[in-house]
Amino acid sequence: MSEAAKGRRVAVTGLGTVTPVGTGKDEVWANLLAGRLGFAPVTSFDTGAFNVHLGAEVQGFSSAPYVRRLDPGRMGRASQLAIAAARLALADAGLCCKLGDAGDAGDAGDAGEHRDPGEPAARAVEPEQAGVAMGTTSGEPREVERFDDRYLAGELDAVGAEFMTLYPCHMIAAHVARELGFAGINTMIPAACAAGNYALAHAVDVLRAGRAELMLAGGADAFSRITYAGFARLGAIAPERCQPFDRRRKGMIPGEGAAVLVLEPFDAARRRGARIYAEVAGYGLSCDAHHMTAAHPEGDGAVRAMSRALADAGLAPEQVSYISAHGTGTPTNDRLEAIAVGRVFGAGMRVPISSIKSMLGHTMGAASAIEAAVCALAVATDEIPPTMGLEDPENDFDYVPNEARRLRVEVAMNNAYAFGGNNASTIFKKCELS
Amino acid sequence: MTGGRGSSAAGRRRVVVTGAGVVSPLGDSPAALHRALAAGASARKPIELFETSGIGCHEAGEIRPFDPQAYVGERNLRPLDRTSRLLVVAAQLALADSGWAAIGPRPAAAAAAAEIGLVVGTTFCSVRTIAEFDRRALRLGPTHASPLDFANSVINAAAGQAAIWHRLRGVNSTLAGGEASGLQAIAQATELVRAGRADAVLAGGAEELCFESFFGYYRAGRLCGSQDRGAVERPVPFDARRNGFSLSEGAALLMLEEASAAAARGAAVRAEVLGWGAAFAAASGEAGMAGAVARAVRLALADAGATPAEIGCLSASASGSSTVDRAEARGVAAALGERAAELPVTAIKAMLGEGLGVSAAWQAVDLVETIGDGVLPGIAGLEQLEPGLPMPLPETAPAVTRRLEPAARQRVLVTAVGADGHCAALVLGAP
Repeated sequence: MSEAAKGRRVAVTGLGTVTPVGTGKDEVWANLLAGRLGFAPVTSFDTGAFNVHLGAEVQGFSSAPYVRRLDPGRMGRASQLAIAAARLALADAGLCCKLGDAGDAGDAGDAGEHRDPGEPAARAVEPEQAGVAMGTTSGEPREVERFDDRYLAGELDAVGAEFMTLYPCHMIAAHVARELGFAGINTMIPAACAAGNYALAHAVDVLRAGRAELMLAGGADAFSRITYAGFARLGAIAPERCQPFDRRRKGMIPGEGAAVLVLEPFDAARRRGARIYAEVAGYGLSCDAHHMTAAHPEGDGAVRAMSRALADAGLAPEQVSYISAHGTGTPTNDRLEAIAVGRVFGAGMRVPISSIKSMLGHTMGAASAIEAAVCALAVATDEIPPTMGLEDPENDFDYVPNEARRLRVEVAMNNAYAFGGNNASTIFKKCELS
Repeated sequence: MTGGRGSSAAGRRRVVVTGAGVVSPLGDSPAALHRALAAGASARKPIELFETSGIGCHEAGEIRPFDPQAYVGERNLRPLDRTSRLLVVAAQLALADSGWAAIGPRPAAAAAAAEIGLVVGTTFCSVRTIAEFDRRALRLGPTHASPLDFANSVINAAAGQAAIWHRLRGVNSTLAGGEASGLQAIAQATELVRAGRADAVLAGGAEELCFESFFGYYRAGRLCGSQDRGAVERPVPFDARRNGFSLSEGAALLMLEEASAAAARGAAVRAEVLGWGAAFAAASGEAGMAGAVARAVRLALADAGATPAEIGCLSASASGSSTVDRAEARGVAAALGERAAELPVTAIKAMLGEGLGVSAAWQAVDLVETIGDGVLPGIAGLEQLEPGLPMPLPETAPAVTRRLEPAARQRVLVTAVGADGHCAALVLGAP
């Protein structure tokens, strides 16, 4: 594809993260580089009936600093996490929303934005040019869990309007947009564990085509007994630690969280003097069309997603400095992922590849969005996070074992794979000033 | 519209519709559905899928009988829930209608080689599967949870299952935007083809009827006849007496292809996707929704390079929902100006009901038929147009099915309005 046909270049100018190892990109980045683990006994529900008990929950989360305009009591937890990530990302980008312009007479405007003395005033976003694209695995699973509790207790009369106003997964993107007054395109992509990358890809297309001037793109998921029971039944949950790419790995650990990236046309971001973490150089999507929960045995779909992303970015495999692996820690995923990466980069490849799921667990629809933020930070800071718990590696790849590393990161690739055979790779590139 | 999109439209890849597959309570082909809509048939019937005692509503657009094997043969359907079965059948019919595959049990080898994509709009995929999985694990303990149900509990499960069934190895995506989902899916597929990321993509939507969503919407007071305000027990879009929608189920997929690739394989072209637009009602209330509808329509016209005067007819999203119908009418009128006062309009949810994720795909499939035969379905049951609505509908008589001259079906408009604020519009053109 020619440059002209591709449309405008896309820059990452803001990052917001809510994770099991902290909130806000600085805290999360410091903790990931320090190898901090986000695992603890599950508190959201009783795990007494399970033979595993660890989870990666966002501890002590309060929506109060973030959900200012809407009523947090009238939205699910994933929406709250998403709004927090969106507010953090927007502030990080030096932007604020311009409430009142969107036609809501009852709103007093954006007087609540915090600003330190001496800090430049945040630039207001044009509401109709600002869109939201979010990914998720389960949407707002706690709302259907609440319904099921009432169903089993014979108390369906207690179900009110809130089931249908809170539960549908599109409410996550809707709540982010309503909170911020963003009236542009609004898209929810429930592409399971690759959803964050899918949302990012969609946002890139929207910006390239000139359909918005700013996109918030990311993913969110809330800790759920449904998800936990499912992975426990599959025998996929590790009892003690998550050790991606280690021969003795015993599985993944379910988690929750949210991440949002602020994306803008590259030239516009330069003009306003925005800090540019990275350019989103390209993406690739594919479908295994093979099995609902198991990857293709030769990594067919993953290979095509990576190859398409490289072609879209106009890059060769040898130009990639770092790979953020899907790396769930399950025996099957990591083995097949290594095969797929080897097919694209060469069996003897030495590109550093690590999995932050060794620290965060699998935050589901948020995972590849958090990992995308990590790729942008790696490109911006020339540091890469480690794979923790790695003692006996799967093969000779450089999995960045147990210690973060300083390294010039020109190009980072973010890989994500999902139930349904949905594969997505995104590529982040150091911003070139020309 | 920014970025000078309209000016570059001439040079971009064109997207054509080469076929469609439909599963609905009013027919299992585009032509059958179109005939039923034109005849003013109703999809409502007493629900047999689940028990409705204790609920104040008993009718919906249930597909009955639904025998997937009649379409896809004897392959094992057990791993697929109802939503996936609906989608697999719609995909089978769309692949056949567009000439990619014959009806039957064999996967489409040509389709697999071509890496056909699949973009599906849905609201729930299967909230029934999710809830059943949860309740079984609660009742019997987590060791008795169903791995099969868990695999289908993800919201992209139907898209994944249909891809496996038909070996659709291209882009695979699922979009959720309430009643606008199906149109969002068509829009995203259009962009994927325009951008050169795919040459052929199946796009549309799927939604099943189940207890969980039916009961949920009943408790939310959204179903017609579930509120104690008026005796109308059918969905009547734009009618002053309307009091809710009628829930329905089904699946519909259009085969969207890059024009020259479609020509190269000798495919018949039924219509062209000329443009789309999308916006969100960030502000609450009717004004916010009307504004978002207007922006979506304007963006779609700009993307299509079409003027309001060139739009021959509208397939509206209106479902009988009291506030959303009015907002849609006002938004369309704001975007089309004078043209709105004389525009032929249909609202097929009067007959079909509200299929949520599949609705807009049904609308698009039906309007492709209108492009072909000039028949625009009426709005069955509409007798008392709400006073003051800027819609050119007769105020005393039911809106009847009419015939459009060829000139009036060169460019046609579909609107899709989600009750939670997602608005989208699509301009289709004659081939």
